[in-house]
Amino acid sequence: MTALAKSRETNPIVSAGRWIVGLPPAYPLLVLLFGIAYFTHPHLLSPLFLMLMLRQAAPLGLATIGQSLVIRCRSIDLSSAGVMAVTSYILTSGTIPVSPLAAIALCIVVGLAIGFINGVIITVRKASAVIVTLAMSIILTGAVIAFSQFRAPGDVPEILRNVVTSRIGGVPVAALLWLFVLFPLHYIDRVTVFGRYVRAVGSNPLAAEMSGIPHARIVLVAHTVSGLFSVLSCFFLLGFVGVGTVNIGQDLALNSLSASILGGINFGMGKGGMWGPAAAAFMLTFLFNFLTSFGLGEPGKLMLQGLIVIVAAIAYSKRQT
Amino acid sequence: MGRLFNPRFGTSPISLGIPIVVFIFLVFAAPHFTSGENLSNLISQIVVLLIGSLGQLVVALVGGIDLSIGSLVSLTSCVISTQQSLATAIPLCIGLAILVGTANGVGTAVFGVHPLIMTFSMATFLQGVAYFILPAPSNAIPAGLQSLANITVGGAPIAIVWCVAAVGTTYVLLRRSQLGLHIYAIGASAANAHLNGLRVVPSTIAAYVFCSLSAVCAGLFLSARVASADPTMGGSLALDSITAIALGNVQLTGGIGGVLGAVTGALTLGLLANGMNLMGISPFVRSAFTGVLLLVAISLQKRKVIGL
Repeated sequence: MTALAKSRETNPIVSAGRWIVGLPPAYPLLVLLFGIAYFTHPHLLSPLFLMLMLRQAAPLGLATIGQSLVIRCRSIDLSSAGVMAVTSYILTSGTIPVSPLAAIALCIVVGLAIGFINGVIITVRKASAVIVTLAMSIILTGAVIAFSQFRAPGDVPEILRNVVTSRIGGVPVAALLWLFVLFPLHYIDRVTVFGRYVRAVGSNPLAAEMSGIPHARIVLVAHTVSGLFSVLSCFFLLGFVGVGTVNIGQDLALNSLSASILGGINFGMGKGGMWGPAAAAFMLTFLFNFLTSFGLGEPGKLMLQGLIVIVAAIAYSKRQT
Repeated sequence: MGRLFNPRFGTSPISLGIPIVVFIFLVFAAPHFTSGENLSNLISQIVVLLIGSLGQLVVALVGGIDLSIGSLVSLTSCVISTQQSLATAIPLCIGLAILVGTANGVGTAVFGVHPLIMTFSMATFLQGVAYFILPAPSNAIPAGLQSLANITVGGAPIAIVWCVAAVGTTYVLLRRSQLGLHIYAIGASAANAHLNGLRVVPSTIAAYVFCSLSAVCAGLFLSARVASADPTMGGSLALDSITAIALGNVQLTGGIGGVLGAVTGALTLGLLANGMNLMGISPFVRSAFTGVLLLVAISLQKRKVIGL
């Protein structure tokens, strides 16, 4: 018995194998996708294309940061479509006569406020997070469309378009911003008290509560942060599109949920970091493009996308038990 | 009264009161609301949502959620459009429902995938299949399908028969069958149910299959009512049905909720849609209003846990 345990510990191949098996499914899937792309569509792996993909993944990546944080606290945020509608309205409708920078600041405040309200209802009134954030999304989207029904959407402020579409030395600024956000967040997650608290609350809310950890406050902060990242994600999307649209980011809430799960985050397990979900966001974006390049068309794309997420989730969940 | 407000069924004065208040308001505020034509119209509008909500209720009772019912409704209409007669179309749809429900149930109960992920992926997949079978809306539906929704039985629209059948079946399942008792027990605590010798996995799968079957019934009725097949027909049904059961104070954490909750929730949404339409209010204002109502209702019905 001890010999077996010892050989497991010392055998580098076995321990490496275990390490790989323990990785979030996003990494092996990404390697697999790269492998298939290498043989079938090598042009997808050119630096130029990868950079484009990285830029395209940035909005989903940002939304996933907020979503993964909330999921780790055993909650969920489905309100991003509503937040997006509001952001788009403030920035492009022209009904709020302020300078572009002030409008951007206003969006950030509104995003934080929406996240905060979600958090308050979820923690103080103890309402279901699925319902609260869903209702919030319905309210915001409905209200914004009703307000803007008879008005053509305007242009996105130039400053936003320029920032998110520009490049530094060939690298898209959007991708750089995304990665630069991830570094401090990784630090906050790993080292600070807040990161530890999130882990504790996610692993066992009851035990966390009894140990004197401010359970409700952590969930509240997580929701507020998630609201902020929904707004940031919308900035990127709007910058890419160039004109205002309320239909932007409709599938972002559920795609960021998929990205979080594929990135090794799960409800009720304090596990997971910042890089897994980021890799998963990139992987999903690559997958969408990859499926398009096969000329499958919308039906085949949707079918494969659904299948891949199911299979990855099953493979990962099975390993946990 | 004590039986009515048994905490297990989630029925609260608020969830019961909302549709009554909305109804009374509409009687005075909306023109022609109480006309016989409008009321029978209202029932045919509610059927689909009611059947979907009853399915969603059963899944919610085992602590799950099913986002795939909207796509399944769309897929049902696509599948029946490929058939010549109802004799082949209906068994095919039932087989489809059993397949989808089993897959959802196995994914969540056996492999432990979170139901949101499992059923959302399933919704994406089924939507793809629906587009694959029928890329654009068509009105090639089997002969006789329309009679499923448009005839009258003894002077009453057949929609009432569908409502009564759906409510009755769900009531018998949940309150008069062993499986119903097991579903409540599993939703309250799957671990305890397992320790008490209940077969958690088959019962959970059965709940998902029931939900898929009700989605297929909703799809059949909807295709019959609009007399066409459309790959986007189900659209918002998944979210609408979740809204409806939440208004009925069914808890998504499982174990709490009842048929009455699903009925009052679906009735509230149906009344709002119909009444505000009569009052000439834009559908976007209506959806915002529905959201506010949902938020208020859910905030007034306090739970014990924080989170999902």
